[in-house]
Amino acid sequence: MAESDALGDTGRRDFLVRVTTAVSGVGVAAACLPFVASMNPSSDVLAKATTEFDLSGMNPGDMRTVAWQGKPVFILRRSLEQIKEMEASNGGFAPEPDRQRVKQPEWLVVVGVCTHMGCVPNREGPGWLCHCHGSQFDDSGRVLRGPAPNNLEVPPYHFVAGNKIVIGQA
Amino acid sequence: MKKYIFLLILCRLASPVLATEAKLESIRVDTGAAAVQRGADTLMSACNSCHSLKYIRYRDLAAFGMDRNKIDGWRGVQSMDAALAGQMSDDAAIQTFGIIPPDLSLMTKAREGGANYVYSYLIGYYNTPEGITRNHVFPETKMPDVMGMSAATGQDQRTEIQVKARELVSFLAWAADPHKEERHKLGYYVIGYLLVLTTLLFFVKNQIWSRLK
Amino acid sequence: MKNRVIKWIDQRFPLTSFVKNELTGYPTPRNLNYWWNFGFLAGFVLVLQVATGIFLAMHYKADITQSFDSIQHIMRDVNYGWLLRFMHSTGASAFFLVIYIHMARTLYYGSYRAPRELMWWTGQTLLLLLMATAFMGYLLPWGQMSFWGATVITNLFRATPFIGDQVVIWLRGDYTVSDATLTRFFALHYLFPFLIIGAVVVHLVALHTVKSSNPSGINLADKENIPFHPYFTIKDFFGLGIFLIVYCVFVFFLPDSLIEPANNIPANPMQTPNHIVPEWYFLPFYAILRSVPNMVGGVVAMFLSVMMFSFMPYLDRSRIPGGALYRPIFRLQYYLFIIDMLVLGYIGYIPPTSLTILIGQIATFCYFGSFFVVTIISRAEERWLIKRGLPPGVEALMASEAREQIVLPHRRRSGDGL
Repeated sequence: MAESDALGDTGRRDFLVRVTTAVSGVGVAAACLPFVASMNPSSDVLAKATTEFDLSGMNPGDMRTVAWQGKPVFILRRSLEQIKEMEASNGGFAPEPDRQRVKQPEWLVVVGVCTHMGCVPNREGPGWLCHCHGSQFDDSGRVLRGPAPNNLEVPPYHFVAGNKIVIGQA
Repeated sequence: MKKYIFLLILCRLASPVLATEAKLESIRVDTGAAAVQRGADTLMSACNSCHSLKYIRYRDLAAFGMDRNKIDGWRGVQSMDAALAGQMSDDAAIQTFGIIPPDLSLMTKAREGGANYVYSYLIGYYNTPEGITRNHVFPETKMPDVMGMSAATGQDQRTEIQVKARELVSFLAWAADPHKEERHKLGYYVIGYLLVLTTLLFFVKNQIWSRLK
Repeated sequence: MKNRVIKWIDQRFPLTSFVKNELTGYPTPRNLNYWWNFGFLAGFVLVLQVATGIFLAMHYKADITQSFDSIQHIMRDVNYGWLLRFMHSTGASAFFLVIYIHMARTLYYGSYRAPRELMWWTGQTLLLLLMATAFMGYLLPWGQMSFWGATVITNLFRATPFIGDQVVIWLRGDYTVSDATLTRFFALHYLFPFLIIGAVVVHLVALHTVKSSNPSGINLADKENIPFHPYFTIKDFFGLGIFLIVYCVFVFFLPDSLIEPANNIPANPMQTPNHIVPEWYFLPFYAILRSVPNMVGGVVAMFLSVMMFSFMPYLDRSRIPGGALYRPIFRLQYYLFIIDMLVLGYIGYIPPTSLTILIGQIATFCYFGSFFVVTIISRAEERWLIKRGLPPGVEALMASEAREQIVLPHRRRSGDGL
């Protein structure tokens, strides 16, 4: 700003100008913050953080898709064979024991968004197939075949009385 | 200079013309959490039967720090995202009062005189010699004397009602402007900063201009 | 490295020469006082309003069923939404305050006179654009005052001869102010500030052609000019600091003082508030509108009251330079005019009674009278002042300007040229 040659040489002069410039700079930067922050999700959007879902009525092998924070979440009630199969391996590209991905082995809860480019995979047993670029996930949501780099995300959730699940809160 | 003085005189002259017919009681709104919570209690028990607060949701009450159990009691089966709706339906209200009770979310901002107006109104009920209940501040009101001032017998009762009304208005003032405290706090910092910066700019300006012959 | 980049640009674009001639090295009279800060302040408030406006528009909904709610959403849920909203509402008042002071400076010092007439008229255009922008913006919250203010003012266009009724319906897009009106006002309110920016550029180009006038009114020699940077950049920033303190006091501590209580009530087409009143910056013109008992007359008077300023370069017939500085009678007239504006503003605010209507009519008469009186008095005053004896610099200036009838464009001098 005022660092031009019109200013001259005395150290004290320069110091005052430098301090003032720095203080102004801090103010300008701070003034930008509310504008940037206003673009972040507003408090009512953030509050839509949890979705409750009734699990009764689902048979082993059934899958339902539930909306949570505007995204699809796959809830899969796994049969005993499916559980055994998933526990037998650690998955494909991103090895992870099945046990680490579920709270109760019978219920798999994963965010139904392909970790490649964000498409919603289709249920194509066993597991899910993403038709956008061909990624394949197993019945634990783990990626078997790319180009997806990661397993399907496990959201925070917990079970509540009455055979219900609350997604969005651990 | 003359024009500034004149402007000031004009502003002083303006105030008596703008005041409503009834003189308003001046109160200090209590921004403390306890008073606001007690005000919420009064509102939910006395006012919510007819009045809605559509811009306040149960989770806003929780975020302010009100007792979670109380909130759960008030909302019943409604989710935390639900707004405070009035209990009375619009049709029932029109049948009973001839008018839909106004929403209270912004009431302390929506009247000339603000919180003072709402407070004075709430305690402004009196009984005429014929036994009809009227209000000093808003004579055309269809609202009954919910706070009970017109039926108050002793000074103790009156004082109790005044305290309750003040806390209720404090809650309404919070409801109309939930970010007020945050705004004031930020304001002190911003103006403090600007005072520092402007002083610095003043000295830099003098320094630069002193170089002129 | 930086110098190489700049050199590359300079070969293709007049960057360095533009910055040197029009910004940093721009010759400015050394005796400009603080009343000359307000042009810069107006530009700053314009940027502030556009910035806050755009970020508000990310959350606002221009639909009558949603607009009031969207503003509450901004105030309560959007991060710092309350700050954006209050900055924008306070900024509108700040904009008018700054512009009115800027105009007052121009009138006092006679900076509207030749060769600065175009500056005055581009400024006039900017004032009209600003008033239109503010008027349309005020409808957007869809409060009681928003709705009824828009209803009253759009009704005025009924005064248009022959096609009045159709014009009103065309403006509104409906028989009453409604969703159609709100949507188009939002579209135009978003557009107009960019027209204002364009007009500001024209205004500044005009300024750089004739250069700033100065408080003494006496033509300064070239050696009395100093480069804009650093002298006036720092002075403008200092003035900005003072302005921001006042502005922030309103934004953080008194924001509701500038918002009519009735506008916190959603618009109700079935019920008019007791007291319809525009924002303070429109009050004098509103008073003039109400002073004339005839509706068409009132509209014409209100329109003229804004446009009258355009005629100043020709109404002021005195050849004494410097505006009010050497002209005690002009100065008196000026102060009386300001007082008259304040009286009109007050009359515009309070509910009308027979007494206040009468005062308003007298004030309106004085308002227009001032413009006509300037014509007569300016010449008479000039003769009287010359007889009394002028300061030497002023005499010399008048003599030299009497010799040269035309101002040559290549003369890069500052001061009040004629």
